Amino acid sequence: MRTTRVRRAMVAAATAAGLVVTAACGSDSDSSSDSGSDGGVTTLTFAASTFGDPGRGPKLQEWLDEFNASQDEIIVEAASVPYPTFGQTVLTQMGGGEGPDLVRFDMPEFEAASDAGLIAPLDDLVDVEQYDLLEEPDRFMVHDDVRHGVIFEASNYAMFYNADLIPEPPTTYDDFFATAQSLTAGDVFGLAFRQTEAEEAGVWQDIFNYVYGFGGAWSDGENLTINAPENLEGLQAYKDLYDANVIPRGADAATFRRMFAEGKVAMELNNGGYATHLRAESPNLNFSVAPIPFPVRSQGAILAPIVINEASEAKEEAATFIQWALEAENQAALQEILGASSVATATERSPESLQDMPFLTVFDELTETSLPQVVLGFEAQTPDIRKIVVQNVIAALQGDVDLETALDTAQEQATDLVG
Amino acid sequence: MTLLEQRRAPRTEAGRRRSPLGSRWTPYLFLGPAAIFILLFQGVPLAQEVYLSFTRTSLLNPTNSTWVGLENYVDIFGDEDFRRTLRTTFVYVVACVAGSVGAGLLVALLLNRSFRGRGVVRALVTIPWAAPGIAVALIATWMLNPQYGIVNRFLDAVGLGVPGGAILDSSTYALPAILVTTVWQLFPLTSVVLLSALQAVPRDLLEAATMDGAGRWWTFRAVTWQVIKPTVGLLALLMTIWSIRRFELIWLMTKGGPVGSTETLVIDLYAQAFDSKQLGTAAAIGMVGVVISLIVIAGSRLVTRAAEKEGLR
Repeated sequence: MRTTRVRRAMVAAATAAGLVVTAACGSDSDSSSDSGSDGGVTTLTFAASTFGDPGRGPKLQEWLDEFNASQDEIIVEAASVPYPTFGQTVLTQMGGGEGPDLVRFDMPEFEAASDAGLIAPLDDLVDVEQYDLLEEPDRFMVHDDVRHGVIFEASNYAMFYNADLIPEPPTTYDDFFATAQSLTAGDVFGLAFRQTEAEEAGVWQDIFNYVYGFGGAWSDGENLTINAPENLEGLQAYKDLYDANVIPRGADAATFRRMFAEGKVAMELNNGGYATHLRAESPNLNFSVAPIPFPVRSQGAILAPIVINEASEAKEEAATFIQWALEAENQAALQEILGASSVATATERSPESLQDMPFLTVFDELTETSLPQVVLGFEAQTPDIRKIVVQNVIAALQGDVDLETALDTAQEQATDLVG
Repeated sequence: MTLLEQRRAPRTEAGRRRSPLGSRWTPYLFLGPAAIFILLFQGVPLAQEVYLSFTRTSLLNPTNSTWVGLENYVDIFGDEDFRRTLRTTFVYVVACVAGSVGAGLLVALLLNRSFRGRGVVRALVTIPWAAPGIAVALIATWMLNPQYGIVNRFLDAVGLGVPGGAILDSSTYALPAILVTTVWQLFPLTSVVLLSALQAVPRDLLEAATMDGAGRWWTFRAVTWQVIKPTVGLLALLMTIWSIRRFELIWLMTKGGPVGSTETLVIDLYAQAFDSKQLGTAAAIGMVGVVISLIVIAGSRLVTRAAEKEGLR
């Protein structure tokens, strides 16, 4: 009798333990996004890689604090996710119906997220008509007449050069090449760009300038044109520089940017956000900025929209933040923080900023000729096309195939991918 | 009362009362929680992975799957890149096992000898194994850095420098560099395990072999190897499975590049799932990995049993 009781007790205990484990596994929170409400105050999460930027991050946090101070019922908390894994981390969360309420995306991830229905349409949440939005970057925020985002930051690409090493910046590609060659000696390099597969997104950003700067394009809007003659010419220029050993081969962006700050790299093509970073990190560096000296005045731009997560339970509150951000004085403050980048609306640069960075106007003048680094007409598939193109271009850099064959292969693979 | 009589004597009431732990269900009760845990945390995800591998599922919309049958498997085996991945995985695993067990055995044989400072050397040898994988990957990356890495400086000094110095960006040298790093991290474990196995070799057998005129090689082959063989087999099995699964070292050093030259199954799986966002394809690749691991385990069991039977004969 006792044996039976003990056995039953043990079975019951084991069953209970199992049920507890099962219940624990199944007790996933019902809440979808990171928003929460406590005592009438809704807390929103705003994810952006720039919050971790040592130059701009703390200032952006102060900017958020100003919003929080202006509100009684909404608090926005910054969530810093490192740039290299930002898209992957946030898209995975959003795909699972979770994630931050507000997100500052880069274009490829923005396109992928909007195509997958992970971003809330803003048309009924934010009345953008009342704001003076910059037309060129803003047109990429709308898909089939549905607005999915508002520009948080638009940053054009230009040529950064060490003014101590280069008194007069080159104005043609031949000059550019010759300057890079003449300055390369010992542990000093004339130029630096990304050229490793480990920095796939960065390589894509860099080769974009060579392709568009030589009159090429990844697509004509309907068909892919990866192996177009102009693209071949532009990428050949990129490869010629690589083959000429005027760059620190194998160095990643963090390394060669440190080298630039130390005067060991003379030129670099980069976006406006870099100017603020350099000023903060290397205040004594004598650098300046000029347009990229390629045959065609067309270059990439980092367009970073701010969007609302479709899974957010506080879309109205998130929209309140976006409306606040679009107000003229807050745009001006954001512009000051972002430095050489532009914001959603036309703002006037302060005399102090222009005195500190006189080259800011160079970036502003490039806005009309800058394009987001996506494949037009195939925006949502850009990350997959990017992988194919970068892999094949690197195969050509490594000498595994010639560049023309590499681009033909990329064209074929990418065409198969997009159907 | 003799012992036999005691055994034959009728049991008292107390003697008949069986221990509550003596039931035939007791083992199941003890195994139950572990079984439930494994079922929940390994069985369910595995079943889900099997299902996913037969679907087209996007990471961006994982609840909306389309059943595609064997299409993912047909696609991956029809893809030359995947076949290259399988070849790379094979080369990586075989080289890791041979390198780590071989180097471990060599070091263990050296450490099994008497010399001054042996204790210190034994402790020093374990450092690479004690270091976290991420730290090892970062240190190796710095050492191989084309601008300021010590490896390139050394290779340049002895006239063996890689053009441009970018070892990890060369489709020729990246995999060997990763292999050397992996073996460097693994050999301490194999050497420590093999050292303990070597210390179990009976001295009298070694002395008898020496007295019979056997040389070092024959003594090792006829005596030492016979004793440590099961340990080597177990280590080879563990190294194989760990090498098939190894992710962080390769990912941090090359991300599978350049041009897929260091892409193993797990790297491909991760890239498909999180870069390309194709969970179905990633699950199919994962299943291929599971099948390969099962084949390795089954093969190992067969070899062990055959060896045991041979030993009994």
